[in-house]
Amino acid sequence: MKKISLKPVLAPTLLVMTLLVSACATTPRSTGLLEQTRSDYAMARNNPNVERLAPIEMEQATVAMNHANAASNQDDSAVEIDKLAYIAKDKIAQANEVTKQKLAERQIAQTAKERDQMILTQRTSEADKAKQDAAQSQLTTQAALAAAADSQRQAADAQAQAAALKAQLDDLSAKQTERGLVITMGDVLFGTDLSNLNSEGMRSAQKLADVLNKNPQRTVLVEGYTDSTGSSSHNQELSERRAMSVRTALVGMGISGDRVLTRGYGQSFPVAANDTSANRQMNRRVEIVLSDANGKIIQRQ
Amino acid sequence: MKSATTLALTAVCAAIAILLAGCSDMKTPTTADVAVSNAAVTNASTAGGAEYAPLEMRSAREKLEAANIALKNKDYKKADDLAKAAQADAALAQSKADTAKSQAAANALQTDIKVLQEQINHTNQ
Repeated sequence: MKKISLKPVLAPTLLVMTLLVSACATTPRSTGLLEQTRSDYAMARNNPNVERLAPIEMEQATVAMNHANAASNQDDSAVEIDKLAYIAKDKIAQANEVTKQKLAERQIAQTAKERDQMILTQRTSEADKAKQDAAQSQLTTQAALAAAADSQRQAADAQAQAAALKAQLDDLSAKQTERGLVITMGDVLFGTDLSNLNSEGMRSAQKLADVLNKNPQRTVLVEGYTDSTGSSSHNQELSERRAMSVRTALVGMGISGDRVLTRGYGQSFPVAANDTSANRQMNRRVEIVLSDANGKIIQRQ
Repeated sequence: MKSATTLALTAVCAAIAILLAGCSDMKTPTTADVAVSNAAVTNASTAGGAEYAPLEMRSAREKLEAANIALKNKDYKKADDLAKAAQADAALAQSKADTAKSQAAANALQTDIKVLQEQINHTNQ
């Protein structure tokens, strides 16, 4: 009795249990979270970067997604499905994050390369500019040095020329006056009342000719003067003749005529009173005014 | 008859209880899972998860805590589920932190380049 009564009770109980466990295996159950996860998964699948940059993470996401889908197909409880969907959703999000991270890392590598190239370019251009500046300043310095040397040499030349001229004229007792260097040829170089140079006078003329030959840019003005003895017209004529005779001598010594001007001043501009024989002799003279380096002569007014 | 039915039901219930409680050897893998989750949460926190992924980070911590409680109560199935969810949350938080840092570095570099370009333009003027 006891044994028989067990069977009919057990049969319906087992049936209920079977129904409970297998449930309706044919109609898959779904949840909002699962739908959302499936949508996320599809989006990740459609992103080629995810497959390329996060293949391992995507594979793990796929495994998790499959678990959740399997739970849905087995019509597991919503709680069980959501539990698995939650993990799948996290893993999909992680695959997306890893993809973003890899993209950022690639951008970093690319940008760093770009930056290094820019730094290199800038350094090169700075170095080039510095080199250029240095070369330019060297050129400027050289030019300045050359100019300084040039002007120094010119000054030295001018000084040497002036010194040489002074030395050459020393024998002729040249005097520095406000009109320039003036050489006085005294009466003794001429015969009394004679306009021609005597031999001493010719030697003086030769020295002057030498100076003129050495200084081709200079010219001379030959001025004749007399004492007050005799008529002024005679004295004027005599002064002109004496000046002219110096010119003739110089031209005879090879000096171009246009470098030798002559003037007769007669008894004007005496250098001493005409009261003694010695003073009168001083007034009888020829003055030779040397031009400046450019051939310019200041005439008597 | 009545006592027999009671006996049968008792037997069935015992079988179900054994089935649901699962094998008591779930204790070891579950303990391991919770430990792994704990490490994952620590790593994510170190990576700056709290700053860059506060939601995921909080979720991971809460689930880990719940998993530990479940483990203490010997509810191994619940502890295991929670530990796995906490792991997924922590891994996501760490990834988000890593991504944010990489993107920040990329942006900083981009700014560097902009400044550099301006300098170059200025130099070449």
